[in-house]
Amino acid sequence: MIVGIKDTVKLIGITIVACCAVFVCTLFLSYNADLAEIENDITAQTGQLIFQAQKATGTVTVATTGGCLGVTSLILLLFYIKNYIDIHGKQLGILKALGYPNKKIAGHFSVFGLPVFLGCLSGFLAAFLYLPTFYHIQNKENLLPEIPIGFHPLLCLLLVGAPTLLFMLLSVLYANHQLKKPVITLLKEKKETRRTLKNRNNIPFLKNLRKMTLRTKKSLPFFMAFSAFCFSAMTQMAFSMKQLASEDMAVMMIGIGLILAFTTLLLSLSTVIKGNAETLAMMRALGYPDRAGEKAVLGSYRPIAAIGFALGTGYQYCLLKLVITILYTEFDAVQNYHFSFPAFAVSLVIFLLFYEISMIIYKRKMKKLSLKTVMTE
Amino acid sequence: MISAQNIIKTYGNKTKKTQILNNISLTIADRSFTVILGASGSGKSTLLNILSGLERPDSGSIRYADTDITFLSDSQLTEFRKEKIGFVFQQYYLLPNMTAEQNIRMGADLAGNPDYRETIRAVGLENERKKYPDELSGGEQQRVSIARALAKKPDFLFLDEPTGALDEKTGRQILAYIADIHQRCGVTMILVTHNQNIAEMADTVIRMNSGRIETEQKNQTKKTAYEIAW
Repeated sequence: MIVGIKDTVKLIGITIVACCAVFVCTLFLSYNADLAEIENDITAQTGQLIFQAQKATGTVTVATTGGCLGVTSLILLLFYIKNYIDIHGKQLGILKALGYPNKKIAGHFSVFGLPVFLGCLSGFLAAFLYLPTFYHIQNKENLLPEIPIGFHPLLCLLLVGAPTLLFMLLSVLYANHQLKKPVITLLKEKKETRRTLKNRNNIPFLKNLRKMTLRTKKSLPFFMAFSAFCFSAMTQMAFSMKQLASEDMAVMMIGIGLILAFTTLLLSLSTVIKGNAETLAMMRALGYPDRAGEKAVLGSYRPIAAIGFALGTGYQYCLLKLVITILYTEFDAVQNYHFSFPAFAVSLVIFLLFYEISMIIYKRKMKKLSLKTVMTE
Repeated sequence: MISAQNIIKTYGNKTKKTQILNNISLTIADRSFTVILGASGSGKSTLLNILSGLERPDSGSIRYADTDITFLSDSQLTEFRKEKIGFVFQQYYLLPNMTAEQNIRMGADLAGNPDYRETIRAVGLENERKKYPDELSGGEQQRVSIARALAKKPDFLFLDEPTGALDEKTGRQILAYIADIHQRCGVTMILVTHNQNIAEMADTVIRMNSGRIETEQKNQTKKTAYEIAW
């Protein structure tokens, strides 16, 4: 069969994102569940305040982390399945032509739930092992009674079983939807063509190419903007945790934030390069200098990435401001949140460095590919 | 003149290697029309890629007059292709989101050729210039591909199975264009094909088999695209 376990290897990004999401959610949900068990034992007013604050923090962290990362994983998955069907359209078309029903072919796409399962399971196990340290950090000053660590099977089901099943189901449904295309459409090589644009025959080729690059493969600019958005929001939010939470918590959040940010950005950069490989290879064969192709094709994504980064900055600021304003107004211990320029500057510098270095690495990789290799891939 | 000496090319990894070109030496005269003939897997396309500077040989040298392109850096090789080489491929490789005219400008702009509309006219695509590749027939797409190569005003034109994806009628039309361009522009042409009938149109025919040159012969009389068998 065409879809196999080896095809899921490329979904390592989803495994990492799922792992981080479940790790964070397990920590806070377990903590909140165990905290609820000792609620009646808390008598001191300070303890009550700490209890409320930690409960609120846990809920917000789970909602934002779980929500954001869940959506990220979902977008990554759907993007990968769409690309997979585009690339393997011919083979899928042949299967359909032979008489295999859509449902049977789509059923094999359930294997894409495997990376989600592996990510969720490893995240859950890692979090469970980290729980003693986490509980100690949360109650460092002993303002709360000792919190016993409990195993919550429902959490395991919700954070490992449910996402796996959901992603398996979504993979099958989405694949089934994509496979509804007529056999002949699947068999034909996918070439995206835009005809809604005004005739641009009088514009020089490179200028025209720059404009067309963004308009023809719309999923790529979206993916690039989205990854820059995630990078910006996650890194800045992680750095801001230093201001709002303990040092240990900040280190953990920054670590997770950076892993996620790098994973998403790396995935989108590789997709952008691969998506434009054909054009770049053709230009190189004709004699266009590498710089001209890169400037016209890859350079078009730079402003998009910048917009994504700016939106991510705004989003994380508004989210944190909202959370502090709504949830922590009663807690004097939590200071008012202000926009962190150092966090912004550090994130921007890391982003620029990572973006440009990744581009250079991928461009070098591209140079090694011959025109024939790119065209027949 | 193109002169290739002792070209060796191997593909594969450390455990399994396949020698594609085995000590190939040949000379191609300026303004000549050379056909490299061979069955699938004979190494003819690899030879074309290496001669044109798209790929590098493992060993051996390729000289264009005084320039040995095997010693050129990647950027120098790109510059060399820009100045001297034109390509026509079996699969056309047109940019799907650009019109025929825009695809031809891809070649013309590279050479700073403002008269690219002349080229469009020359290949008979004036009425089709605003169409996108998937709105054109196979023959028309190949003419766009030829026009794109010619708009660069190359000294050497490399054609890899240019009629391989076309029916007889269209194939003959394309070959007639190619022969006409050769006569009018005086460009050196190297055409790779498995169709031995096309060899009858060339000045020189190089037959390849299993990575080696079997024979090299000069045609005393050349046939036109409409005289050869199909």
